[in-house]
Amino acid sequence: MSIFQTHELTKRYPGVDALDHLNIEVEAGVVGLVGANGAGKSTLIKILLGLVPATSGSASVLGYDIATRGTELRQHVGYMPEHDCLPLDMNATEFVSHMAQISGLPRTASRERAAETLRHAGLFEERYRAMAGYSTGMRQRAKLAQALVHDPEIVFLDEPTNGLDPAGRDEMLDLIARTGRGLGISIVMATHLLGEIERVCDQLIVIDAGRLMHYGSLSEFTAATQTLEVEVTSEADALALRLQQHGIPCAADGRRVLIATEGAPPFDLIRDSVVDLGMGLVRVQQRRHSLEDLFRAESIAASAALVEPGETSAREAGMAR
Amino acid sequence: MTQATPDTKDTKDTKDTQDAGRAGAPDSASSIYDLGYRRYEGERLGRRHAISALYVESLRGAFGLGRSAGAKVAPAVLIGIALFPAVVQLLIGALVPGDAELILASEYYGIITYVLALYAAAVAPDIAGRDQRNRSLTLYFSRAISRTDYALGKLGAMVTAMLMITLLPQVLLFVGNALSTQDFGGYLAEEWDLVAPIIGSAVLGSLLIASIGVLVAAQMPHRAFATVGIIVAFILPVVIAGIMVNEIDTAATRYAIFLSPLDLVEGATAWIFRVEPDAFATPGRAGHALWLYAVASVAWTAVASALLVRRYRTVQA
Repeated sequence: MSIFQTHELTKRYPGVDALDHLNIEVEAGVVGLVGANGAGKSTLIKILLGLVPATSGSASVLGYDIATRGTELRQHVGYMPEHDCLPLDMNATEFVSHMAQISGLPRTASRERAAETLRHAGLFEERYRAMAGYSTGMRQRAKLAQALVHDPEIVFLDEPTNGLDPAGRDEMLDLIARTGRGLGISIVMATHLLGEIERVCDQLIVIDAGRLMHYGSLSEFTAATQTLEVEVTSEADALALRLQQHGIPCAADGRRVLIATEGAPPFDLIRDSVVDLGMGLVRVQQRRHSLEDLFRAESIAASAALVEPGETSAREAGMAR
Repeated sequence: MTQATPDTKDTKDTKDTQDAGRAGAPDSASSIYDLGYRRYEGERLGRRHAISALYVESLRGAFGLGRSAGAKVAPAVLIGIALFPAVVQLLIGALVPGDAELILASEYYGIITYVLALYAAAVAPDIAGRDQRNRSLTLYFSRAISRTDYALGKLGAMVTAMLMITLLPQVLLFVGNALSTQDFGGYLAEEWDLVAPIIGSAVLGSLLIASIGVLVAAQMPHRAFATVGIIVAFILPVVIAGIMVNEIDTAATRYAIFLSPLDLVEGATAWIFRVEPDAFATPGRAGHALWLYAVASVAWTAVASALLVRRYRTVQA
């Protein structure tokens, strides 16, 4: 089942297209929404939540059209904004319980769930203290708790690890993973940190300048490619030339040669060629896509040139757009 | 309550993660232990409930309930000041025998005019500007509440807060006056027809002052600016209307009174009670038909409320 889909969704601000005819249908799960700052991540989330109107196009979340059934929809979604949003003169229990009521939960249920959710988020005795005295980590937890308190079916997290130290970041990511996988709540997490996506998410949306670059499962994305990477101790041009003379498609990249393989890789030929040329062999490995490839145009170009025409790689799909 | 029972699978999962967490970081004092987040399958009451929750919480906040002691001081002091004349009347009624009806319900707003403005200036920035200051508007607008609902919930809270300072003293005054006549039952029977005007004038005045106060506060998220803004919005027109009506005093300048909410409240109250306004006060000297003040009050309330709704429909969340 798809958790949200957009059709030609466009948002124009004066002088900039924040979203540019975005078409996507996203499956349930823990979804990373990645892009550089200003790529349109927050704008997409805000449009889906009805906080910002779209300029054109349409979208639906959990089957509710955002334009016509927004109020109903918003009983079932949670949102953790990127910016500070806590009333610091209140304590976390009162605040989270109030937010549960604003989501439509009855008063008693709101109190019970506020306590449970704050515990889930890792706030214990301190939840009775005014939030003004909270550390950044505790504030982020309170923000997450208010997004989860009404048991949403989908939660949008905008840069949830912002401002956290490494330990706090780890804990927040664990918490998100546990919420998504353990409780079956779909999560859309916007971030510009690829490491976070690789740790937590099972799907990935990449947007750049308001356009969809890539959408797919993370495993598909990081799967082994049919490219063999050979690293040697000196400039690899001569090696590439030698391999090409033997009819093997390859390209040199500094001290590395990227070889497109079909069937068994020509390990013996590589070894012999390296020895003949008087080079030292550092490593030979099957190449894996990494998220960073998406943001390294050179490496994409190099790999794309090597990919066999029949192969449908996620990266290629991304490049085609 | 149809609370969801914990899903056994979930409980197992969380336990596993918990153990893993402990094993992975035994020294971390701030580890997250999951003591059981449950799915919720109970009822969801929707918009109407959300609005009433917003209304109640805004009202509590206005009086500093659920906040620090400092937040309770200003509203408490101002309510005390507003109640003071009524309390004095009560005491005199209790101690001095004989008829001592010092303050009439119809004159009350003339006495506490400036207190009304100060009170609005103290309370409105808490009701309306607070969520913008905290940037928590986003959290409301991403929930089961529309922007218009939000505006009306806030306006409702402010009107109720104003009733605390308009209707409550009037009720005390009514009881005080009744007691001071030595014939409580007789007074009630005789003055029963004052009840409707007391309520009517309190509601009319509260609506007008609340809608303008909230509107100004919603435009100025910064608390100090909002407080000053509201005081200026109420007091400056009183001064201007006073000069235009009492000093310049031409047929045209006398219409300046319709720009002054506090004078309108005083004039409309006189109309509601069917009495002549104080001949030395601006509404008395302007010489317009009294019902016009009531109409103008309603008109300003409508304009301010519409602008408030518009403000929240367009404000960036």
